[in-house]
Amino acid sequence: MNEEKEKEFEPVIVGFFCNWCTSAAADMAGTARLHYPPSIRPIRVMCSSTVDPVYLIRALQEGADATILGGCHPGDCHYINGNYKARRRVAIVKTVLKSLGFDDERILLEWISGSEGPKFARVMNEYTELIKKKGPSDFKYIDSLGGD
Amino acid sequence: MYNDKLRDFIKSAFEKKLIEAVMAPAPTKDSYTYALITRKEDVDKLTPIAPVMQWNGADMLRRITRLKKSGRKLLAILRPCETRTFKELVKFNQINPDNITILSYDCPGTVHAREFKNEKISEEELIEKMKKNEISEKVRDSCNVCEYPTPIKGVGDIGFGIIGVEEPVFFSLSDNGKEFLKNMGIEEGERDDTKWIEIHRNNREKWLKEERIKGGTKGIEDFLSSCLNCHNCKDACPICFCKECFFEDHSVFDYESDKYFRWADEKSGIRLPTDKTLFHLGRLIHMGTSCIGCGLCQQACPMDIPLYRLFGIVGNDLQKLFDYKPGVNDDIPPVMDFREEELQDFEGLPEEGD
Ligand code: SF4
Ligand code: SF4
Ligand code: FES
Repeated sequence: MNEEKEKEFEPVIVGFFCNWCTSAAADMAGTARLHYPPSIRPIRVMCSSTVDPVYLIRALQEGADATILGGCHPGDCHYINGNYKARRRVAIVKTVLKSLGFDDERILLEWISGSEGPKFARVMNEYTELIKKKGPSDFKYIDSLGGD
Repeated sequence: MYNDKLRDFIKSAFEKKLIEAVMAPAPTKDSYTYALITRKEDVDKLTPIAPVMQWNGADMLRRITRLKKSGRKLLAILRPCETRTFKELVKFNQINPDNITILSYDCPGTVHAREFKNEKISEEELIEKMKKNEISEKVRDSCNVCEYPTPIKGVGDIGFGIIGVEEPVFFSLSDNGKEFLKNMGIEEGERDDTKWIEIHRNNREKWLKEERIKGGTKGIEDFLSSCLNCHNCKDACPICFCKECFFEDHSVFDYESDKYFRWADEKSGIRLPTDKTLFHLGRLIHMGTSCIGCGLCQQACPMDIPLYRLFGIVGNDLQKLFDYKPGVNDDIPPVMDFREEELQDFEGLPEEGD
């Protein structure tokens, strides 16, 4: 895809970030002036396990082109095992999407600790690039008159 | 004849004081309901094997034991799918199994409740077909592709075998069942149900391959296009037991008018209500790992949407992911459990070139 076209499409990516890790990493990336794209719309949650997966697809239907769930690394969840439960839920929602012929890569699960500012910036950049390449999501056209 | 056999069994269990109550189907004018009786004199009102499954019997047991375990020795006659539902709901702490004995039987399938209302059919007709290893063309879609159409060891207590034997046989499925049959003075019998299972599994395999809903947005939208958003499917589903449903708490989907207008701007118009498809996807996400395959969602749909294609096939994908078979053994339901080492494929950015 040529550069001009990529410029045209600015994806919207909703990030549900755990307060204890990924949100802190986002702050750190900010203070360190590490660049990450404006496409990311962060929402602070208390743990990756507090996000019902229906909220991920609700964001996709409302207009997001992708969603990220960011939690603490395995073993590091502030509430001991919330991230393991979150991983099951993400596996379930991705499987449902794939099963019905949707692009399941529009949901991303990442473990990013509070000290991983650079990883945060890298993941946000790479994911934005990936979603740009894919183009707008058609999930947002569910129950609408638009789309193909 | 089979119902007579079971009624005799129940009467004799009353006489021997092995039971104090029975829950089993009973006929109504145009259908069959579940009935709870507490006296031997009422047994003749029951049709233990009924051609219609208006509700899931496990859901009725959930109601009876919701506040307190069964206060009397209760025998419940359930189809194999209802027996699996019973087991699944016990795992979710929705049924207290104390004091309950379950009898299940080789199931010939059931007819859609509305079709039955229009054209009555006897259970004997379905059973006669089953004895020839033929699935009646009148049974519901989910019965036609049922993975477990006969009683399973460890699920329920007593099996009633009909297939491949002149005279029906009783056999135990649990220790409780073994004890029960011994106290009844019944010798356990055997029968071969492999062919009956095989026919269903072949149908199922073909169905899983051919009936999948594909194509993302367009596929699911077309499939659900006539949906009234009435939520009957959810109400009929025995696994959707939550008292407060995410999708009934409308504040989750309350938006200011500006939001609707903005969506209409951005999506070239929107359809109202906007939460119809999401309701079904949400239900799949919440309960698909435990979908038992009873097909009652489809029977409850006023618009005849073949919903079991959605829940059965996506449910099958989900259950494969966790190597889980709802209601057939003691494994913990996937949504109640986790492993520290698992599902790494679902973490992180996709590899380059994927
Ligand atoms: S989703 Fe349908 S088939 Fe599955 S358990 Fe619920 S009512 Fe039965
Ligand atoms: S029962 Fe049928 S019409 Fe009602 S919500 Fe379910 S799919 Fe839609
Ligand atoms: S506290 Fe961060 S994932 Fe649970």
